[in-house]
Amino acid sequence: MTTFQLQIVTPDGLLFEGEAERLVARTIDGDVCILARHTEYVTALGMGQARVTIDGKVRKAACIGGMLSVSGGRVRIVATTFEWAEEIDLERAQRARERAEERLKQQKDTREIQLAEAKLKRALVRLNASR
Amino acid sequence: MAGASMKDIKLRIKSVESTMQITKAMELVASSKLRRAKERVERSRPYFNLIHQTLTEIAYSTTEFNSDFILERPVKKACYIVIAGDRGLAGGYNNNMFKAVMAHISELTGDGREVCVLPIGKKAVEFFDRRKIEILSRNYMIAEDVSIRNCFEIAGLIAEEFRSRKIDAVYLGYTNFVSMLTQEPAVVRMLPLKYNRSEAKEPTGPKALTIYEPSCEAVYDAIVPEYISGMIYGGLCESVASELGARRTAMDAASKNAGEMIEDLSLRYNRARQGAITQEITEIVAGAEA
Repeated sequence: MTTFQLQIVTPDGLLFEGEAERLVARTIDGDVCILARHTEYVTALGMGQARVTIDGKVRKAACIGGMLSVSGGRVRIVATTFEWAEEIDLERAQRARERAEERLKQQKDTREIQLAEAKLKRALVRLNASR
Repeated sequence: MAGASMKDIKLRIKSVESTMQITKAMELVASSKLRRAKERVERSRPYFNLIHQTLTEIAYSTTEFNSDFILERPVKKACYIVIAGDRGLAGGYNNNMFKAVMAHISELTGDGREVCVLPIGKKAVEFFDRRKIEILSRNYMIAEDVSIRNCFEIAGLIAEEFRSRKIDAVYLGYTNFVSMLTQEPAVVRMLPLKYNRSEAKEPTGPKALTIYEPSCEAVYDAIVPEYISGMIYGGLCESVASELGARRTAMDAASKNAGEMIEDLSLRYNRARQGAITQEITEIVAGAEA
């Protein structure tokens, strides 16, 4: 299969650079699939699972926020969070989920609720991605 | 007489010595932490540069581009994100920051505008509590522990408040790390966003048509919070570096002072000792003569 150059950048640095065959990611507008020779393209990333096919093998990851761009045949994921499924700390995500749910029950302040909801969403995405 | 004062001086020397040990340790800790803080900034830089670049490209790719985030509107309520330290003993670091912010705030409130703050760092929370200024969130008490994830949370919160028109302007108060010896407090406007035309790349030759999905505005609005968090994180790292720099300098000066004091005190101690011996000899001689 034809490959394209993929770069994954997060605030923690460059996470991945290399050839990939296929990329599926959740954007704010739904899932998109990028193959080689895609046209110039920019979109914002939502929260969800990303799947990258490298050498015929699919790697899953939790991918949250940021953007996805294709320019000159190079694909870039600039994500606030990008964690490969095997690197996700399941226990921590589970704990984060419980904590967030607990907080949602107690809080009345809308701001605190917003924060707790965002935390819960992130925990759920991590848990889903690692499955 | 002389004996008691000798004991006093000895005690003081001991206490100054132990203080000096503490200040020296704090100086060393600050230096090593400073190095790590700098590395942290370097690692996250490419990410925020890419976001910034995309934002500018979007803003200039279409002529009729409009977003809530760049639209100026009359300011009824402004929000300040103020980054200060968690502890004192850092020279004028905290004070300089608060002075700069308060000067800015009083200018706004003078015109009858409302103000709220989002303090980062224990000292900042305490300061604004005392002034009875509305505080948006108290979740970020410890500046040193605020991670990049927290910055995203803060940015999300701020962007939401801004879009729902609860606040009309957002400022960031942080300390610029100029050098090891100089740190300058600064207050900059974050929202609405302002662009320099010079920063946008001039299109060279035929430009490929980029598809923005679902639309320019949607993509733009979605990644603005990321950009804001980048600014906050940048400001935070600068501030933490400044705090450590200020503490290092302050502790360096304190250690030097302690050294001087010890020197001075040991001189006095030796004089007192000599005085005591001389007196004793005089007494013995006087006793023998009698």
